[in-house]
Order: sequence, then structure tokens, then C-alpha cells
Amino acid sequence: MNLATNLYHAGAEVFLLTMVCVILIADLFVAGRGKMFTYMMVQLTLLGCSFITVATHTDGVAIVFSNMYVDDLMSDVLKLLAYLAVSMMLVYSRTYLLTRGLFSGEFMSLALFALLGMMVMISASHFLTLYLGLELLSLSLYAMVALQRDSAVATEAAMKYFILGALASGLLLYGMSMIYGATGSLEIYKISDAIEQGVYNKQLLVFGLVFVVSGLAFKLGAVPFHMWVPDVYHGAPTPMTLLIGSAPKLAAFAFVMRILVEALQPLAIQWSSMLAIMAILSIAIGNLSAIAQTNIKRMFAYSTIAHMGYLLLGVLSGTIEGYSSAMFYAVTYVLMTLGGFGMIMLMSREGFEADNLSDYKGLNQRSPWLAFMMLLLMFSMAGVPPTVGFYAKFSVLQAVVQTGHFALAIIAVLFSLVGAFFYLRVVKLMYFDTPESHEPIQYQADTSLLITFNGLGVLFLGILPGTLMSICAVSVQQSLLLH
Amino acid sequence: MLENYFPVLLFICVGLAVGVVPMVLGKLAAPNRPDDAKLSPYECGFEAFEDARMKFDVRYYLVAILFILFDLEIAFLFPWAVVLKEIGMFGFVSMMIFLAILVVGFVYEWMKGALEWE
Amino acid sequence: MNVESLVFYVFAALMIFAGLRVITARNPVHSAMFLVLAFCSASGIWMLLEAEFLSITLVLVYVGAVMVLFLFVVMMLDINLDQLREGFWRWFPFGAALALVMVGEMVYVLGNRKTAATEGLVRHAADYSNIKELGRLIYTDYVYPFEIAAVVLLVAMVAAIALTLRRRIGVKSQNPGKQVLVKKADRLRIVPVAAEKSGSDRAA
Repeated sequence: MNLATNLYHAGAEVFLLTMVCVILIADLFVAGRGKMFTYMMVQLTLLGCSFITVATHTDGVAIVFSNMYVDDLMSDVLKLLAYLAVSMMLVYSRTYLLTRGLFSGEFMSLALFALLGMMVMISASHFLTLYLGLELLSLSLYAMVALQRDSAVATEAAMKYFILGALASGLLLYGMSMIYGATGSLEIYKISDAIEQGVYNKQLLVFGLVFVVSGLAFKLGAVPFHMWVPDVYHGAPTPMTLLIGSAPKLAAFAFVMRILVEALQPLAIQWSSMLAIMAILSIAIGNLSAIAQTNIKRMFAYSTIAHMGYLLLGVLSGTIEGYSSAMFYAVTYVLMTLGGFGMIMLMSREGFEADNLSDYKGLNQRSPWLAFMMLLLMFSMAGVPPTVGFYAKFSVLQAVVQTGHFALAIIAVLFSLVGAFFYLRVVKLMYFDTPESHEPIQYQADTSLLITFNGLGVLFLGILPGTLMSICAVSVQQSLLLH
Repeated sequence: MLENYFPVLLFICVGLAVGVVPMVLGKLAAPNRPDDAKLSPYECGFEAFEDARMKFDVRYYLVAILFILFDLEIAFLFPWAVVLKEIGMFGFVSMMIFLAILVVGFVYEWMKGALEWE
Repeated sequence: MNVESLVFYVFAALMIFAGLRVITARNPVHSAMFLVLAFCSASGIWMLLEAEFLSITLVLVYVGAVMVLFLFVVMMLDINLDQLREGFWRWFPFGAALALVMVGEMVYVLGNRKTAATEGLVRHAADYSNIKELGRLIYTDYVYPFEIAAVVLLVAMVAAIALTLRRRIGVKSQNPGKQVLVKKADRLRIVPVAAEKSGSDRAA
């Protein structure tokens, strides 16, 4: 075992951990309300992480730390996007948290710990590391949701999130233990080898698979394990909702890929039918329930459920195109969610939470540029061309149709038409209704720059999706070619 | 390996017997004639005012959870101490990193004032 | 049936009973106590699996520490459990049916089948040390998850402090360290007081 090689591949994780420890302690010595010093350090850390991830990138797949850590293109790409998502989350939420007195060192260090958990998950090639990464991520998120201690809603959301999350972890762990019992290994590549060689107890394996899929579905928020999503999204302070809704979905995608595709590929017939049921239910229930919402955070929550359904559609098709379109979907979803919640925080000000749909009435008159950005984001979520959301949905459906699941594709298209209604309703409110309040929208220069970048990015990626799509395709291919 | 623990099993059995048998004997042998006055709760001659349970300060919880965390840390030290000679420098350093991470937590809570009762 | 399986069945039965009582006991403190019993029985079962270190850790950490925390929380919450358990019996048949289905499935899947992980297992000799076996692996091959475990503990620390620590205002506690460190200059100020009549008085 060569320690230097191991550390080289996990350089970004080591750097991040060191920096979190430094930030944790340094923050105690920084007085003042602004906490700008800590904030800048966190942003620089994220920049440093991306630099290290790019610099230590190696072609091919490296499996280090006694087969527990995998460094491939997929993990590098997902990690870079996770840094970007966390960094954007911090920019969007700075003013929001400052005005509510929540902009503390704990918030930032917990966000970095959550990021570390995501990185561990993304690069895991062993059930143990997958689970530990998931716990590290979830534990930080539970605490972050509860950080607003005086808010009964936030505490309730944290409680629900924690209890259901713990239940999901239990299910996952139980399933993993069954798979271990059936195959005699916890290493992802050894499990797939064992199954291919036929030395396993099939019933036990499928039994474990059911639990693993249920646990995964809980974490993704797919129907019928979705009940926590609206309450948590609604109850948590918006920056925490943004964090829960964005980057962890990249890690969850990696989780699905590692467990279902890399470890349990021979069981694809079993899990793809489970995923098909969940995907269709998620798309249907997510889109239908979102129509009834008056709170935009709840609406986004149901839309997340629907989006996870589309993501699962890509995975269940079981082809390289399917997986890469699912990865593409995850990336675009994260980008759209960041913009959507970023807009809520941009519109909010001290003592006012812009989380009702009616708060967006006549936004065009108050700020045409913001309204246009929101229009782009809503179009993208609805899947209207030429935004990236259209291309993401299109590629997922294409993959599904290619594998002959016509019925799935038709249902998905029908429900995305239903879904278009509530996204376009926001657009209608912004452009054709009269505003309820004429208070000027106050925002910092960096936030408005970021929302511009975010909105135009959605448009740009929609017009030129080729590069991102080919990156996704290559990275998925590379991870799967190993065996 | 299990034969080493047979005395422990016996010990548990004897311990259970010592605990349970007197209670059973008391139940069986003692006269038991309850009436209303005997069964009513007694608090200095008054009716009971409130539940015996009361609210604890949340600080107890903080102390307890910090105790658990360091308790877990110590649990990791036992196997390490047993095989330190075999695992050599690598094992030593890995435990030092483990401890360093937790020391960061310790410094943090100390500086935060979580160890002070006020 | 040999002694080992007898002990196993006793522990298993005890654990199921304790588990049931945890959710059915009226008094939450009793529930917590039954949880202790469940942990102890689980520890006995782990011991039968020759996981001696984990078994003893379970008693030390869970029974010794986690349950103390549980009792604190149970007492701190000061909850009226009857209120909390309203509707318990209404949903009971549904839950019980679900549990029965699960048990049936488990029996069907796990009943008397050899699995890859249990094939060719033999009892270890009397001088086998489970702790050594663990120690050889944790700090070398499993060093990566081991360090992540440390980070998880660190997050738990940060989270516990962030969620429960409150600065109290108006506390009149003493700080002995500060009291000892006090210098004369901090407390004593010599004020030059001008004499009422200078010069002439002294001369007189």
C-alpha cells in the first residue's frame, strides 16, 4: 500500500478536511457580525479544492485505500460541480443569513462538512465508505436545518428530516448487510464479480436490493418515500433548503451509480422495474401536487420529486446513454434549483420571506432583469426549449425510448405537460399581474451577477449542450468500462 | 473462544437470580392487603402536586453528548493499544490523525465555552 | 440443542420481548430501561458470534453512555405519552400486518440457507482474540473509513454545540482563574489627593 499514491488521489478531501478544521478554530478568533473573513476563507477553500481536483486528475480509474476509494472522471466532474453548487449557495445566502443573524461559523463549517460527505460518497467504492459519506452528509444537513433554533417550523422540519433520514439509513444498512451476506464482500467491484461468477444466494441478494433501493429512494425523495421532502423544503431556512436540494443530489446520483449500476448491474432486471414504478409515481405525484401549492418552496419541493423521477428514468433504461443522460439531468437540475432558491433569497429582505407565489406578482414591473432570469429558470424547469431543461428531459426520454419503454416515455411526457402549467403560472404572475408591493428589491452586486450567470447559463447550456453531454457520456463510460 | 466467557454467563445467571428471587419471594410470601389509603400517592400528607418527571436543563444534554463522543473515541483506542506493535508506524500515525481531528473538536468546544457550566 | 443455541434463543427471546416493551410501555422511562435490556441481549448475541470487542463496546457505549443521554432526553421532554400515543391502537393492526409480512419474507429468504458470508465458518480456538483481529484491520486497511469516522464524531460535536449552547446573560458565576490572576494595578487605583492647604500647614 503506497500512502503517497493514496493521498494524491484523495488530495481534495484531505485539503478540505484540513481547511475545515482551520476554519472551525479560526472562526472562534474572528469577532464581528460580518464574518467576512470566515466567508472568504470558505470560498478560497472551495477554490483550492477545485484546483486540487483538476490538478490531481489522472486518466483512467484509480482505486486506492484498499479498494475503498475510487478516483475516476465521473467523481472528478461531480465533485467540481458540488464545489460550484456549495460556493453558489454561500453567495446567494450570505445577505439572507446576515439579516437573520444565522451567518455563523457553524453554518459555514457544517456546509463544508456536508460537502466532504458528498465527496466521500461520490468517490466511494466500498459500502462502508458510501454509508459513512452519506451519514456525514446527512448529519451536517440535519444540524443545519435546525440551526434556526427559535423557529418552530425549522425545528419541526429538522425533526422530520432526522427521523425519516435515520429510518432510511437503517433500511440502507440492512440491505447492505443482506448483500454482504449473499456475496461475501462489501467492495463494489468484488460484489459485481461475485454476482457475475454466480456464487451468490439470489433470493437474499434481491431481498437486500429491495432495502437498498428503498433507502436510496428515501434519500432521493422519490415517491412513495417522498413525504419528508415538502415539509423539510418548506420548513428549513431557505439557504439550507438550497443546500439540501442542490449538491446532495449529485452525490445521490453517484450513490445510485455506484450501488445499482457498478455493484448490482447483473440485477438490472430487478431494480429497473422497481425504479420504473418509483419514477412514474414520482413524476405523476410530483407534478400534480405542485399545482396545488401556493408556497413556492413547497412547489419546488414537489417539482424536485418530479425531477428525481426523470433522473430515475434515465438510470432505469440501463444503457450508457441512459446513465449519461441521468447525470446530465442531475447537473442541470442542480443548476436550476440553485437559481430558483437563489431568487427566493434575492427577493427576501429583513423580516420578509418571499416564499409565496403571490410575492412574484408583477416582478417584471419591479425588476425586468430579475423577472427575465426567473423566466429562464422556470422555462428550464418546465422543459421549454431552448433552455437546458428541455434538452435534459429530451435526452432522458430518448434513452428510455431507445430501450423500448414507450409507455414510460409517454406517461412522462404527459405529466411534464401537466408540470409546465405551474411553472408557467409563475411566469404569468410575473409578467401579467400587478405587483402587491412596490418595495425596491435590495441585493448585493455579487448576488445579482450570480443570478445572471445562473439564468444565462441555463440558456447557454440549452443551446450548446454538447460539451457537458459528452463529458457526462465519457465519465459514465469510463466508470463502467472497468469491468 | 466462547468457553472463556462461560464464567460471565454463569455470573449473569447468578446475578439475575440474586435480583429476581428475593422479589419473587417477597411477592409470594409477604401478606398483601391493599386498601385505598395504602395505594394512594403520598407526598407529605398532600395530594401529589405534579408529575415526578421534571424538565432538565438542556446543558445536561450537551455534557452527555460530549461525553458519548469521547467515550466512542476511547473505544477506538482499545484495539489500537492491543496491536500497536504489529501495525507499526502506519497504525500509530493513523490513530494520531484520528486523535488530532477530535482534538480540533475539543479545542473548539473549549473555546466556545461548552465545557463551562456558568 | 447444545448450550450455545439455548443461550442464543434465550437472548433472542429476551431481545424481542424487550423490543416490544420499548414501544408498548406506558412510561417512557420504562421504555428506555427496556431498551437497555434489548442492548444487553444484543450484546449477548454478538458475543455468541465471537465479536467480543463489539459486544463489550455495545454495553460500554450504548448501555453506559447512550442510554444516559436517552434518559436525560426522556426526562427533559417531560412529555405526556398518552397524548403522544393516541391512535396507536388504531394503526396497530396495519403495522402488525406489515411486520408479519416482513417477518414472513425474512423467514422465507433467510430460513436455513447457506450464504456466501457464512460458508465454511468454524469456531475459533480459545486463544483467538477478536480485538487483535479488528485492530490489525482498522488502523491499516480501513484507515480511510476510520478517519471519516473521526470526522463524523467531529460533526456531531459541532452540531451538538451549535444546537444546544446558549450564552446566558446576567449569570453571576465566578471565574477563579481570573480572580487569581488579578494584579494590584487592576483593582487598586491611587488617586493623588491634593492637600487642602499646601506648604504653610506643614510648616506650622
